Amino acid sequence: MKSYISYFKLKFITGLSYRAQAIAGIMTQFFFGFVYISVYVAFYESNHSSLPMELDEIVGYLWMSQSLFSLIYLWYKDSEIINMIKTGNIAYELLRPQNLYFMWCSKILGERLSRVTLRFLPVIIIAVLLPKPYNLDISITAFRLLLFIVSMIFSSILMTVLVCLYHVICLFTLDERGVVNIFMVIADILSGLVIPVPFFPKFMQNISNILPFRYISDFPFRLYVGNIDFNEIFISLGMQIIWILILFILGKTLTNKALKRVVVQGG
Amino acid sequence: MSFIMVKHIRKTFKVPIKTEGIIGSLKSFFNRKYRYIKAIDDISFSIKKGEIVGYIGPNGAGKSTTIKILSGILNPDSGSVKINNLIPNVDRKKYVKNIGAVFGQKSQLWWDIPAIDSFNLLKDIYKIDDNEYKKTLNELIDLLNLKDILNIPVRLLSLGNRMKCEIAASLIHKPQVLFLDEPTIGLDAVSKKMVRDFIKKINRQNNVTVILTTHDMKDIESLCKRIILIGKGKILYDGSISKLKKKYDYLRKITIETKDKIDIKRNYIVKEKKFDNKIEFTIDIRQIEINEFIKLLSSKISIIDIDIESSNIDDLIIKLYEEFEI
Amino acid sequence: MLYFKYFKIHTKCELEYKMSFIMSFISQFFVFFGYYFTIISLFSKFSNIKGFTVYEVLLTFGIIQFGFAFCETFFRGLDKFDDLIVYGNFDRLLLRPRNILMQAFCEQISLIKLSRLLQSIIVLIITLINIDITFSIDKIITLIFMLISSVLIFLSIFILTASYCFFTVKGLEVRNILTDGSKHMAQYPIGIFKKGFVTFFTFIIPFGFVNYYPLLYLLGKSDNKLLIISPLITVIYLIPSIAIFYKGIKKYSSTGS
Repeated sequence: MKSYISYFKLKFITGLSYRAQAIAGIMTQFFFGFVYISVYVAFYESNHSSLPMELDEIVGYLWMSQSLFSLIYLWYKDSEIINMIKTGNIAYELLRPQNLYFMWCSKILGERLSRVTLRFLPVIIIAVLLPKPYNLDISITAFRLLLFIVSMIFSSILMTVLVCLYHVICLFTLDERGVVNIFMVIADILSGLVIPVPFFPKFMQNISNILPFRYISDFPFRLYVGNIDFNEIFISLGMQIIWILILFILGKTLTNKALKRVVVQGG
Repeated sequence: MSFIMVKHIRKTFKVPIKTEGIIGSLKSFFNRKYRYIKAIDDISFSIKKGEIVGYIGPNGAGKSTTIKILSGILNPDSGSVKINNLIPNVDRKKYVKNIGAVFGQKSQLWWDIPAIDSFNLLKDIYKIDDNEYKKTLNELIDLLNLKDILNIPVRLLSLGNRMKCEIAASLIHKPQVLFLDEPTIGLDAVSKKMVRDFIKKINRQNNVTVILTTHDMKDIESLCKRIILIGKGKILYDGSISKLKKKYDYLRKITIETKDKIDIKRNYIVKEKKFDNKIEFTIDIRQIEINEFIKLLSSKISIIDIDIESSNIDDLIIKLYEEFEI
Repeated sequence: MLYFKYFKIHTKCELEYKMSFIMSFISQFFVFFGYYFTIISLFSKFSNIKGFTVYEVLLTFGIIQFGFAFCETFFRGLDKFDDLIVYGNFDRLLLRPRNILMQAFCEQISLIKLSRLLQSIIVLIITLINIDITFSIDKIITLIFMLISSVLIFLSIFILTASYCFFTVKGLEVRNILTDGSKHMAQYPIGIFKKGFVTFFTFIIPFGFVNYYPLLYLLGKSDNKLLIISPLITVIYLIPSIAIFYKGIKKYSSTGS
């Protein structure tokens, strides 16, 4: 356990040293938030029919997704791991006493958390200071804030096991493009990062309610802005836990299977 | 007239200082400090056409920086470089036509397809005319025995064969200077010999000037008459290997096995170690020849077995590094 | 021409891995679908955006995607320029007696991205069939100019972002601001946005001349004939981009990174 924590810490610290990257990231996230909101503002200004989300809800949703983007986005490949798989150097990793699956999880979570640490607050602060209607509303009840934090913790774990699963699949395909790419694109769309799930056509909404992707971003953000029923919150929290368990077991079993293959090939 | 002229080049790099721990990282995030590293500090030399020069030194001595400056990739802070009377940053295109380079750890071949495809592309890059290209290619195929490997995707070739193709690729435009940066790295003994023989042939037949950096002293011994040793960005030695040997490689270890007691004290015996029935003498061969010394020994005692350590260039270089503290 | 030799050789390499090629081709389809899906979904809830209908927006979308996909297919070497710098392979370009920018184009050419180019053309065709424009010679010329300028503006942006790698290699996210961010907005007629944006996309990154001012003429919202040739302004944008790229090379030769 200790070795995973120190590995996590190492990755976290390394992530903190990329200064230019972090500044660029803050600028990007801010710019993108502004861009997305501008599109919605234009839409809302020209339409007054009944819509699935209020403008201020959309704005809050978008700022949350931008400030937490580096934690929750799903189009993520760890080039170090991918290279290890492609070159076959993965065999050396097996010589270590640690479990590969947990190593990868701590690496992914460590890197993602270090990124979000540098980016979250600056984006939030700027977003709060913006003029209406672009600004982020931070008046939220303590109870909802608590629920939001809990859902974000689950969301981070869910993200880790999901992203780790991509890399585990690479162990079988030996190629990070192809299947994994298709998987990532679908995940990206269904997670609500492209457009919020309430704007999906009905059947797509049903699909995304069953799959794990929406519980990483769409659910916590709608919880934050209050665009969600009370009992739905608890159902969704349950879904997060269920999917964490499913993806964890799946990832862990597949890793063991894949590593056996590596050993057999090596022998 | 020298073919390659390097005059007083200097190069300094700016490197950010990393600090430890989470707080340190956060601190250096806001206030980054730099230090300056003198990679090359006033280096001058000249090389005649057709020479093979070994450019050696420990890691970080400034070898690859020099090679980069010579090949026009990097501009020196001050000083000048001239090859074949051309200056690198004046007319880059004309300058690099003269140069072929192989960097042992980087490839210029296309990984997934046969080497011949890469060669054909290089032909177009260097605008080599058809007949000329065919002639050179055939020469290289004969010389290197490339016939059977040219049509296999590079990724499937052995390391030795891949290096052959790399070197051939760097020679396709008939450069007058060839830079070889660790050409034998990772090769087995047979492939190493093959690569060395090939370099020799190229040098002899086409009169190509070769500058070679390597950590393998056997490369140096079998290829170069002249070496340039650098350390901490300065030239420490520039001259022939034999002279270097005379200057630094004058100690020999002679171990004899005997049952007799012996007690000789002479100036030229630098060290004497006794264990069991063996004695190890370290002698200075500038003061006495080895056979004289053995004669002396055999006149005093009966020798059961004798072992004379041969001169070893690796040790020589280690000795040099120690002496210059690099 | 050297470029076509490179094209051949890149294609040969890509086809070495047929399965992966096919899968990637398909995955590109999904990426594109993601963008398309956004616009279609939004227009299923909203009837118009500042008076522009779904097909009018799809036209600007198609033009922008066309230009971007074109550059991603044929000038991908610039898009992946940071790899070249990070792994020290840029040295190799400097060792060769050819124009550096041209060699940078050639570094990567991707047939896979052709998938997106095809889809953008499909979207354009569907749109042009359904859109309410009566085409005359001047309108066809306007449309062609718009397509060309879309390629030119992305080429300039690619060169600019590649130049960025000479100064710091952590360039990926800034590239996103320029390419993806601007691209996202430019998928809509620039005029729908607030004044600051319109100014930005007129004078700083002139997307307005790619898809807004000429669009007004195309849709009959303006009669000013000057708007037909307005897309050609993007040519001017190319010049400083190239100049900065060469400045970057100079910097590289003096620091080696």
